[in-house]
Amino acid sequence: MLTCDHYITARTLDAAFDAMEAFAGRYRLVAGATDILPWAREGRAGDVHIEALIDISKIADLNGVVIGKSRVRLGAATPFQAFLEDRALSAVLPNMRHCAIWFACDQIRASATIGGNVANASPAADGMPALLVLNAEVELALRDTGGVRRRSVPLAELVEGPSRTSIAPGEIITSFECDALPTHGGAFEKVGHRRSLVIAVACLSVAVSLDAGRKAFDDVRIAAGGIGPKAVRLAHTEALLRGAPLDAGTIAEAAELELDLVQSRSRRDYRRAVLRGFLTRALVCAAREAGADVDVLEQTLEAVDA
Amino acid sequence: MPDLSLSVTVNGRTLHRTVPPHLRLLDLLREDLHLTGSKEGCGAGECGTCSVFVDGVLLKSCLVPAAKVDGADVETVESLGPRGALSVVQRAFHKAGASQCGYCIPGMVMAATAALRSNPRLGDEEIKERLGGNICRCTGYQKIFDAVALARDVLCGVRPASALDEEELKDGSFIGTSVRRLDAPSKVTGALRYAGDMTLPGMLHVKVLRSPHAHAVIRSLDTSEAEAMDGVAAIVTAADVPGKDGFGVFVRDQPVMARGKVRYVGEAIAAVAAEDLVTATRALAKIKVAYEILPGVFDPDAALMPGAPVLHDYAADNLVKHIPIRKGDVEAGFAAADVIIEECFETQQVEHAYLEPEAGLAYVDPDGVVTVHSPSQNITHHRHMLSDILALPINKVRMIMSPVGGGFGGKEDMIYQGMLALLAMKTGQPVRLVFTREESVSTTAKRHSARISYRMGLARDGRITASEIRAVYDGGAYGMSTEGVIRKGAILAGGPYAIPNVKIDTYGVYTNNTPSGAFRSFGSLQTQFATESMLDMAAERLGLDPFELRRRNAMRAGDTTHTQQRLDSASLLDVLAGAEGAARWERGAPVVRGAVRGDLAGEGTRPPCRLGARFAAPVPEAQAEEVA
Ligand SMILES: Cc1cc2nc3c(=O)[nH]c(=O)nc-3n(C[C@H](O)[C@H](O)[C@H](O)COP(=O)(O)OP(=O)(O)OC[C@H]3O[C@@H](n4cnc5c(N)ncnc54)[C@H](O)[C@@H]3O)c2cc1C
Ligand code: FES
Ligand code: FES
Repeated sequence: MLTCDHYITARTLDAAFDAMEAFAGRYRLVAGATDILPWAREGRAGDVHIEALIDISKIADLNGVVIGKSRVRLGAATPFQAFLEDRALSAVLPNMRHCAIWFACDQIRASATIGGNVANASPAADGMPALLVLNAEVELALRDTGGVRRRSVPLAELVEGPSRTSIAPGEIITSFECDALPTHGGAFEKVGHRRSLVIAVACLSVAVSLDAGRKAFDDVRIAAGGIGPKAVRLAHTEALLRGAPLDAGTIAEAAELELDLVQSRSRRDYRRAVLRGFLTRALVCAAREAGADVDVLEQTLEAVDA
Repeated sequence: MPDLSLSVTVNGRTLHRTVPPHLRLLDLLREDLHLTGSKEGCGAGECGTCSVFVDGVLLKSCLVPAAKVDGADVETVESLGPRGALSVVQRAFHKAGASQCGYCIPGMVMAATAALRSNPRLGDEEIKERLGGNICRCTGYQKIFDAVALARDVLCGVRPASALDEEELKDGSFIGTSVRRLDAPSKVTGALRYAGDMTLPGMLHVKVLRSPHAHAVIRSLDTSEAEAMDGVAAIVTAADVPGKDGFGVFVRDQPVMARGKVRYVGEAIAAVAAEDLVTATRALAKIKVAYEILPGVFDPDAALMPGAPVLHDYAADNLVKHIPIRKGDVEAGFAAADVIIEECFETQQVEHAYLEPEAGLAYVDPDGVVTVHSPSQNITHHRHMLSDILALPINKVRMIMSPVGGGFGGKEDMIYQGMLALLAMKTGQPVRLVFTREESVSTTAKRHSARISYRMGLARDGRITASEIRAVYDGGAYGMSTEGVIRKGAILAGGPYAIPNVKIDTYGVYTNNTPSGAFRSFGSLQTQFATESMLDMAAERLGLDPFELRRRNAMRAGDTTHTQQRLDSASLLDVLAGAEGAARWERGAPVVRGAVRGDLAGEGTRPPCRLGARFAAPVPEAQAEEVA
């Protein structure tokens, strides 16, 4: 059970910093609470008492979405459900709705925030590969004697390993700046013990755009989670596919290229086989969403697989 | 603890409340407002029984700090139907038979309502997807999906409202008619109160101190500091048992709380009754126990070896029970066999995972009758045992069976009712204990794991000439239902096959694992798994079709079972024919199949699960009727 002496709902960034100062070293930030409440249970942290819980989910700065020409700003308190319900958003971040549909369930997604997902730094977090594909930059804010200081870090650098980030004490993630990809198609693959409400054994996010004839890849972005200490981009595979024809041979070759990235401590061979299958399927699905006719290609690949 | 002031609108009424700052929305609803239609199946966001609308969005209230709903509008399952009536969704659940134990059903109704509000014309795949956050352990999901589809069709005008009415009796007979369950309305509305939903004035909350060790002597147990805490009413230990301590279905080897020694991780040692759960939890930390750790034994075969650690003084060999069955002469049967197959199988422990965690409420009534409400699957037996334990005449002990939110055998053993009775007697106040999901999983009985050594002899034509089966079941730390389980396991071990020579031995063995108990199929699943696996291997060895092999051995009317019972009728051949047809089985020995199998996929087979049905869904029409 999680108990506290104070539950402080901050309405502004300053109010949050006031509370963080007053309870320095004796508080925890709360956004959707979907990680922190299950954490304080038997078998994990057990009964935990924290003097102050500071709820940052209602701060205006952390909410809201701004869709610009080339970049999209997502408040850190954006819940995953937004990617399913806000059509304008899924139009410019095409891989996010696929990530969201595999994320927990409708109820949890309505609470679970992207900021919490990243700060929690689980190697299996579904949001990580999806945000890496979008080249997300994380904006953080900190208040010291000089006032509020903000910095921006690439997401790939912020998360260091399982439960490890470079978020400094007193820092709050305020937003994520992502690439707008209005002409890309997206896909997400995930496997776990069941379909809903499951931690990924492995997951994969993909966004691709096509050349004018829709017969070759143009831009290709791929990131995988659950295969090592943190989610990673598949840079070599992306390079191989950029500009390459959209055919079975290319995809089969790409799907094999970086299986060595699987560095998990357990079930490595299984995860490699899964990653290969994920890549094949996700590239085809994303290409279809980007406007390619992939029906024949899909059949060819399935036959190869069987 | 400074309190938190909230104002929140719940089901249309605005309330002002002062609550502890850590309170969850689910606690506010259930404990403060007595809106117990929202259940706590897991407390960790996994099951969906706690689903409520907050400002129109469905959330799992076990993961919502109450502070978050300050100023919000909350709707619970209690608000769905107009007063005294059912909503269309609730009526559809009633009609479709979509409720069994009912514990998941209010949450399912809420998820269905949310789904239909989001997309009034959602397709069948989208129904499944949108109910993905809710678990049911007994109804089976199909009836629930049918109910949502029915509600959708009625709300969209595709089916008439009369589709929700009870079916008329066919030719005045209930047989062949789909009859609605009498108890369904109370389940679909959340009105039905399970033990954990009940409260009484002056009620105290109970928490249990449990052993962190699998096998240890309790050198000392000091509850004085915990007892002295503000808000703690009483603590009970084995020392408080006035009568003859011990319960169990066949052998009463389990004390109400550990007596001098603990035998498994999670065994109850002391129980605290306090004004609230936080105080009871903090009191547990103040109870001092000194243990002398003993070597443990965790494998039943190892426990049978001479020199193994002994759990119970009365059973120096760690044997709970041995059931032997003999028929014919197996050695002669093996001598006559053309093929002999030998194999060893292991099965694992299984958790029942009923959605309602164990809970109970006890009090002493004005006539001195100790009364316990609990979802017990065996109240009369519990009552007799409790009368001995409490040293009270049977007319001073009353067990009331509260609705069982799923049992599957797991609620047959009286593992916590004794503690509650003792606390009610000691405090003179009503006391309530509700297990957390983790407590339920880690401390209550499981399906027995088993190791089965098998030898089967067959003639070339597939007839079984002899079966020799030795199955060692892990009974865990206490006897519970083990004797019955291994007896059933033995009786059914050979399978429904006419075998002239059979030698079966099943053993129930004490180990320091979590006790094993009753679970659907009661011990036979383990041995049947081995038998059917043996037959599949035999089919491969003999080059026979697996169905044909079973047909050749099937018991028929007039045959005698392995325990010498003459059968007047036998339905195995019908069952085999039905299964073979439904599976579109490709005839032949298992070895004849090529890479492409004609019996996979096709009609009636579910394709692999994919998500994203809602992406393909048509844009919902704004004018679709509002979902009540
Ligand atoms: C049933 C269930 C299913 C789940 N399924 C999935 C799943 O499928 N995929 C998946 O990836 N995850 C899943 N999760 C995990 C969880 O929902 C996500 O990680 C979620 O995104 C966490 O966000 P939150 O807002 O709820 O975090 P919180 O619990 O509020 O916070 C988590 C941590 O992040 C910190 N934090 C939060 N916001 C900030 C911020 N802005 N700045 C700095 N620190 C911050 C908090 O202090 C805390 O330490 C599941 C959880 C549950 C209970
Ligand atoms: S999801 Fe809340 S109790 Fe299970
Ligand atoms: S009816 Fe669903 S859990 Fe029992």
